[in-house]
Amino acid sequence: MIGKPGLTLYGLFIVMALLAAAALLLGVAVSSILVLLLIYAALAYSINFITGMIGYVDFGHVLFMAIGSYALATLVSYYGANPLLGVGLGALLGLVFALGIGLVILRFRGVYFAITTVVLVLAAYNIVLQFPQLGAGGEIIVNLKFQPLATYFTIWTIVLIEIVLTYYVNRSRIGFGIRAIKNEEDAASAVGVSPRTLKLTGYMLGGLFGGAGGAVYAWSISGVTAGPAFDFTFSLLMLAMIIIGGVGTSIGPLLGAVVVYIPSYFLLTTVAQAQPLMIGLLVIIMALFLPDGIVGLLRRSNEHLRLVLE
Amino acid sequence: MQPKPRKLATRTTAIIVIVIVALVVASSGGVYYYVNYVARPPCASATSGNIKVGFTISLTGTYNVEGGKSLAGIQAAASWINDNGGVTVNGKARNITLDYYDDQSSSTLVPQLYTKIITQDCAQFLLAPYSSALTGAAAPLAEQYNRVMLSHGGSSDTIWTHGYQNVFGVLSPASTYFKNAIDWLVANHHSGDKLAILHADDTFSTAASAAAAKYATDQGLHVVYNEKYSATTQDLSTQLIAANATGADDLLGGGHFDDGLRIVKQLTSVNWTPKFISLLVAVTEPEFQQQLGGAANLVTGPSQWETIVTYSPATAQAANIPWYGPNETQFVNYYSKQSNAGSPTYHSGEAGAAVVVLADAIQTANSTDTTNVRQAISNMHIMTFFGQFKVDATGKQSGHSMVLVQWQSGGLLVVAPDAVASGTVKYPYTGS
Amino acid sequence: MVAAELIVADLAFGLMLGCVFSVVAHGLNMIWGVVKVVNIAHGEFIMLGAYGAYFLNLFAGLTPLETAPVDAAIGLLVGYAFYYAFLHRELRNKETITLQSEMVTLAATFGLSLFISNLAIILFTGNPVGVNYSPGTLQFGYLHVPIAALYVAILSVLIITGTWLFLERTFIGSTIRAYAQDVTATELVGANPAKVASLATALGFAVTMAGGALLTVWIPVGINPLMGALYAPISFVIVVLGGPGKMWGSLVGGLTLGVVIDVVQAFTTVEIAYAAAFLILIPVLVFRPEGLLKR
Repeated sequence: MIGKPGLTLYGLFIVMALLAAAALLLGVAVSSILVLLLIYAALAYSINFITGMIGYVDFGHVLFMAIGSYALATLVSYYGANPLLGVGLGALLGLVFALGIGLVILRFRGVYFAITTVVLVLAAYNIVLQFPQLGAGGEIIVNLKFQPLATYFTIWTIVLIEIVLTYYVNRSRIGFGIRAIKNEEDAASAVGVSPRTLKLTGYMLGGLFGGAGGAVYAWSISGVTAGPAFDFTFSLLMLAMIIIGGVGTSIGPLLGAVVVYIPSYFLLTTVAQAQPLMIGLLVIIMALFLPDGIVGLLRRSNEHLRLVLE
Repeated sequence: MQPKPRKLATRTTAIIVIVIVALVVASSGGVYYYVNYVARPPCASATSGNIKVGFTISLTGTYNVEGGKSLAGIQAAASWINDNGGVTVNGKARNITLDYYDDQSSSTLVPQLYTKIITQDCAQFLLAPYSSALTGAAAPLAEQYNRVMLSHGGSSDTIWTHGYQNVFGVLSPASTYFKNAIDWLVANHHSGDKLAILHADDTFSTAASAAAAKYATDQGLHVVYNEKYSATTQDLSTQLIAANATGADDLLGGGHFDDGLRIVKQLTSVNWTPKFISLLVAVTEPEFQQQLGGAANLVTGPSQWETIVTYSPATAQAANIPWYGPNETQFVNYYSKQSNAGSPTYHSGEAGAAVVVLADAIQTANSTDTTNVRQAISNMHIMTFFGQFKVDATGKQSGHSMVLVQWQSGGLLVVAPDAVASGTVKYPYTGS
Repeated sequence: MVAAELIVADLAFGLMLGCVFSVVAHGLNMIWGVVKVVNIAHGEFIMLGAYGAYFLNLFAGLTPLETAPVDAAIGLLVGYAFYYAFLHRELRNKETITLQSEMVTLAATFGLSLFISNLAIILFTGNPVGVNYSPGTLQFGYLHVPIAALYVAILSVLIITGTWLFLERTFIGSTIRAYAQDVTATELVGANPAKVASLATALGFAVTMAGGALLTVWIPVGINPLMGALYAPISFVIVVLGGPGKMWGSLVGGLTLGVVIDVVQAFTTVEIAYAAAFLILIPVLVFRPEGLLKR
């Protein structure tokens, strides 16, 4: 890694410590709210690997979330396995699928890649409907004892790992290569960086953590149903989170998760659509005027912040 | 970079760190205070005050029609109970208050909303949402937080296969929906008929149709077409053409309100007139006939309850079963006072019945404790305006019976079973 | 063995459905081909066109066929607004669209998609609605063809032919085609690139919204604020199949998709048919990324 770990990493650790304390001290009411925040954050970090860092817009990232959800749901409801094994399986399958899919579709540039990811989600949804073992349109119930802290700290650990990994990648030589790809892919190969491997790695990391996040999500709502599992809203929210927070950064996904999720919780019972509406508006403004997100904005506004925020 | 900025950076950095940490600590303290002392007064213990019943209901989205009817039914029943002595616990009469939110027919919102209802709104008892799919999403929360939940709109048998202790159904399970229709076909010399089954792929429709297919085959009918369609399929022409091509005489299936409408509309456009049609859920809604006009005539459908079927204290006495709650006239009367309720359909009845049963269980248990109340429900056998209530060991309803209805000349008649029928089945369906 | 009549019926329905798919995707094709921008919110404008048909039917009794031109007019205005709001900044003074611009428009239109669909849920409520339009069926032997579907299919083909004629035979059309090939060259011949691009965008939106109106014939109970999530991917696949920028590509792609969806159903299930239709995209992109059409 280049340089000593900066303020950002410690700041993120502090936030994670506070989140851990909140769950332990403030009771189930608060932890049930925060667990969803952590799940969103985990998914945001996962899409950050492929879209934020490498610049390949993955509209279909919910695919990995669904894979993770189904992995956990089937493992637990058919084999009575420990949910942690389900999370592991979800992560593993996410990784494997990302590898297989990535080998084929990462060669498509820009827009074509984006469209293909969308198409894959729809195809996967229709295929899953075919299999009664996968619920065939109905729900697979995960019937476990209620263990809110176990669920909470599983996703908490996942997010922590992602934060460290993201930070490390950004600060390492790999990070240079990745930023090179984002700006000009052909130039990257001229500098001796293999774009193909990097892209695939990014996509696989996205799949790994997307699957893990999806598995924990299924655990937290005790089940998975085909329609909601492949719901594009999740994909779009994940994308919105990193666009708003700041693509590719270490803080961005967590910040984006907070901005996207917390208002939604308060608006849940009034006009639940007001939140995605605002998110859409925010994304438009960010895309057109602030492509670096909030983190980018802060960095540009103040030289000291620029040194500190990553 | 030069030394000067580095020194500056260290000091400024330190300041920034302190500011950030302070902000975070301050805001988390603020959040803690807000959550625990402002937004949510600690849940008052259940020895006094109102009995809060919490639920989500689909006021918008795919299930909005059925959800609206269910909500009005719940409100009607709760008002009647409050006007007629409330719920007596330990000698004190307490009112029922309803705490509900719109779940927008989305199963993603259901867990979040129920968590809020239980942990922040402190609801003591729960009703499930409308539809088996949403009920499936809500049921785990009843177990997690140990609250009794009554299912009024979720009939799929699979709900009761997970060993839930707190979830009880008021309505007849999905597997019994098509029994009356098939019984009629068999009894009226139509065994040997070829049956086409086309159903939505959600848990409820699948359960109902799969049971129908099996029962039909057992009774001697030939199931020549049996397919499902996904909720997002808008165009069913090819399926209907394929079903027609198999030479089917009768068509069973559907899903909820939208698909029922869609099937009949597209039957017209592919020009197929089955001799007998029976569709889930949609048929009992007045809007079904309003939107389809002539095409709705002679379409049949299963129903949990109709206002013309009268259960009364007298019927209960004759059957030696205790009676509780409003009678049918009183329920319809209270129902009409609810805004935008239209006329009551079976969704209204089953939802209202859930409230009635819950109230009676609380009174019988003489307690608002979950364990006592669920014990009472498990042992209850009563009759309400909706019919009999008795659950089996898993919580599934076993005492209630369904009816078959048919649109005839713009009016909905109960055509089976004979004991409660107000008309007879007209056959065949002609499409107008 | 599947009955031949069934396959023929499915083929007929598939072709008619395919025509509507084509016109729905055509607007996207035009914009993508000329301005090289992919509008992620494409599905939402289809949805708006469909709602247009619903409301005009509800309040003015218009059939979807009559609504289509009204929607097209609205689409023109919307298209101009869209161009100046989103694209003008990115495209002016640029010779070709850069990767950066591509990502920016992708992200911005994605935000627009979220915004419009949720605004629609708030304004129209999430309840599915439909348009009642059934002028009857025609009978060809055992084949019953709904007249509404037939009208709409014919109209779709007319629209696509019309845009082709416009681009090939009129002066403005050839200016647009010139812009599509080389932006700077357009300036050299005295045309204002912004005006050309905005016109192309406006036309694209006009066709999209008209397509949304025509689509309502096939979805009697399916007009809802989130329908864009299904028709946008369908449009993307169609445009890629036919080749972005090739006008007849919309028809080729649309018919292919419609036929695959309906005919494959005869042999397997609906879900497999849809999955297959979508997955066609991948081999096409791998082996023939410029699309199925020869030129």
